[in-house]
Amino acid sequence: MLFSSVGFLFRFLPIFIIIYVALPKYRNIILLLGSLIFYGVGEPYFVLLLLLSILVNYGLSRYMFWEPRSPQTNRRQKTARRKKRALALAAVLDLSVLFVFKYWDFTAKSVNSLAGHDYLPLLALTLPLGISFYTFQMLSYQIDCYRGTVEKQAGLLTFAAYICMFPQLIAGPIVRYGEVEQRLLDRKVRIRDLENGLKLFTAGLGLKVLLANQIGTLWNSIMTAGAGRLHTLVAWLGAFAYSFQIYFDFWGYSVMAIGLGKMLGFSIPRNFNNPYVSRSLSEFWRRWHMTLGRWFREYVYFPLGGSRKGRMRTVFNLFVVWALTGLWHGANWNFVLWGITFFLLISLEKRTYGKWMERNAVFGHMYTLLLIPVTWVIFGITDIGQLAGYLENLIGLHREKVLVGTTQLFRYLREYALLLIACVIFSTPLPGKLYWKWKDRWFMVLFLLAVFWWSVYEMMSGSNNPFLYFRF
Amino acid sequence: MRGNKTKHLWEIVYNCPFIILVLFTALFMLPFFHKIEGRENDKNIAVIKSGNEGADECTDGVGLFAKMLEGDLNNDKSEACYVANDVQSDEEKKENEGTRKKDITQNGKNIRQNNNIQKTAITVKPPKEEERATKFIEYTPTETNSRYYSDAGKVALTTTYDYILENDSYFNDAVFLGDSRTLGISDYAGFDGADFFCDNGMTIYKLLEDTGVTWQRTGEKVDMKEILQEKSYGKIYIMLGMNELGYGDTPMYLKQYLKVLRQLREWQPEAIIYVMANLHVSREKNNMESEFNNININDKNVAAARLANGKDVFYLDCNPLFTDEEGYLQAELTFDGVHLYAQHYDKWRTFLMEHGVERTESEEAKVSAGETEAAEDSTVGAGEG
Repeated sequence: MLFSSVGFLFRFLPIFIIIYVALPKYRNIILLLGSLIFYGVGEPYFVLLLLLSILVNYGLSRYMFWEPRSPQTNRRQKTARRKKRALALAAVLDLSVLFVFKYWDFTAKSVNSLAGHDYLPLLALTLPLGISFYTFQMLSYQIDCYRGTVEKQAGLLTFAAYICMFPQLIAGPIVRYGEVEQRLLDRKVRIRDLENGLKLFTAGLGLKVLLANQIGTLWNSIMTAGAGRLHTLVAWLGAFAYSFQIYFDFWGYSVMAIGLGKMLGFSIPRNFNNPYVSRSLSEFWRRWHMTLGRWFREYVYFPLGGSRKGRMRTVFNLFVVWALTGLWHGANWNFVLWGITFFLLISLEKRTYGKWMERNAVFGHMYTLLLIPVTWVIFGITDIGQLAGYLENLIGLHREKVLVGTTQLFRYLREYALLLIACVIFSTPLPGKLYWKWKDRWFMVLFLLAVFWWSVYEMMSGSNNPFLYFRF
Repeated sequence: MRGNKTKHLWEIVYNCPFIILVLFTALFMLPFFHKIEGRENDKNIAVIKSGNEGADECTDGVGLFAKMLEGDLNNDKSEACYVANDVQSDEEKKENEGTRKKDITQNGKNIRQNNNIQKTAITVKPPKEEERATKFIEYTPTETNSRYYSDAGKVALTTTYDYILENDSYFNDAVFLGDSRTLGISDYAGFDGADFFCDNGMTIYKLLEDTGVTWQRTGEKVDMKEILQEKSYGKIYIMLGMNELGYGDTPMYLKQYLKVLRQLREWQPEAIIYVMANLHVSREKNNMESEFNNININDKNVAAARLANGKDVFYLDCNPLFTDEEGYLQAELTFDGVHLYAQHYDKWRTFLMEHGVERTESEEAKVSAGETEAAEDSTVGAGEG
């Protein structure tokens, strides 16, 4: 089920909220059951995988906290060993499930094509919804238990509710247990929270349906015409359109998640902090998908030694983090290439012009605004041949006859002018600031009401219009 | 005590104006949105039922199309006849359904056959009077459980006719009406002389209702109806049906298509009308869970094909050009599974050029004189071949 669907908005959510508010004693079990229904509607079989995965991880975390009764000699040593064993097992199990579903075919294809012979069979498995997110969330719990950040182990129900809670189950933010622990154990649902949560949710819905989906059709119609045959300006227009789409899509989703979390009495961490106003790519990644950045920083980069083990080691650590970040986003070479591009640019920034750019803001902004769309193009086109064609078009190279020229460019500009302006405005911090300033004023309430119904209208007529582009 | 309660209630109201407004407006909005979702089917079923009563009065509904398009029959009874005819064929289908089994590959085979016949159809001699103008290949229909469509159980082929290979000038007095795919033809097929009235998301229901349709020559929204009444066109190409997949069912689509063609015929009595098949979607995009699949598209195409009479209305099936053996749009021709890449419109262009219709004067006279031949000939386009 998606947040931006009629079934969620008018069936699931109201019924769930009523039951949730009416039975305050059983909040976690209601939250768990509701989340399983939310997940199971779209993934009737994989919900079992999710449950199995929760049970196994819970068992392993129990093992980590297990204290043998009988007095032992080197007790501390044994505890450390047990913890290590449990963590290693959890990591191997969780990551192998993720590997089989997400990366097996990719690996098999790559090996087969390198070897020139079909050694490994392709499985053609469907990717369970949200598996990348919940795997990372479980791992973060295990690591935090291992490190002692989580002091008191969660009960099975609490742990299951923490992993499954539907606001963040399928597309993040990746919440750490410590952030929601208190609320999981005891939370109040106040009328103000319901109100403010729904407002935030509406704002996110608007970003997703009114901005992302709409601008998405521009990128789609450009890609539909065919990469490699685009006028340079059309190629850039497409790159910007896609940058807007992916931002508003994901940001909108995160805001909806935070809003829903608020309605249920949680405070889910922020995932985006105006990434497009960054002055460098490193800054961009401190503002984009912050909970994922944090995950890689805390659980991969720092344990590897971060930047404290010498220049060469720092470069290597950055490489590992970015290659993994690329792969996490999808099992395809273009995602690896996308990660490596960030590795190269960010390493370069760190070593040379980064400091200078932070001081010269104008240059920094321009640099970021030109490079980010290029990286999104690499992200967005999985076919390497087409990707090459598109990148060539971006820098003005044309091997094929240009088919999408100035006629189409002007048409696109005319058609999308207002939307593009809106996208630019919403990429700045201004709308966010105004929202927090005026969120309780009557005109903001009316504005959000309009956004709500307009989004619902677009969603519903969108089901009649198959050309709308949904991507989750 | 009571005052306290009221105060408490007011506090709640004061604290959540947004929730209350959303709930309050929902009472008004939801019935309205319900309608958009395409529940007008109920109305349509009523039409079919009332249509049944008039079934005895018309012997052959399909043959009537040609006549209706000429504007001879413009009363409600004819519509009832057409609907009744549709019901008849539906009933036949249902009878057979019991013995037939689901088989999508069977479907594939037939479409491959379709491919071969397609090629021969272009070169064959002019059809004899008793031959049907539009041929259908039957296959075993699958069971569908949708309020939007059913499996037609047949594939419509390009109307049999002695087509002529034309050049660019043939399209100088042509007009194209359609959705985003026609926009693709406008952009990339290179018919510079033709007029294109098309918009993303255009439907057969909106075509004559919208006051602003984009005229691709100028890029401005114009009142298409006015232009169609003033300017005289030799050919009308129409391709609509994709955005209708989840709106209303197939009989409703056919009814509206007929209405549109009739209107066009009234404005353009001399024009050759080409009803173009809707291009199938790719395997990836084909979704049997939703209404967005090739069975539905084919259902719409078969309905549209029944409007062709082989005299001044022709059905062109471009699907064999772009689909694989199972009828899916070939994955390498498309990014989104729905639209062709720009470079492949050349093929479409050639296909349209190969299907020129030059009517002899006697034929034209026949058509404009409103000969009832088409109506009497019960086999023309009967659609059961």
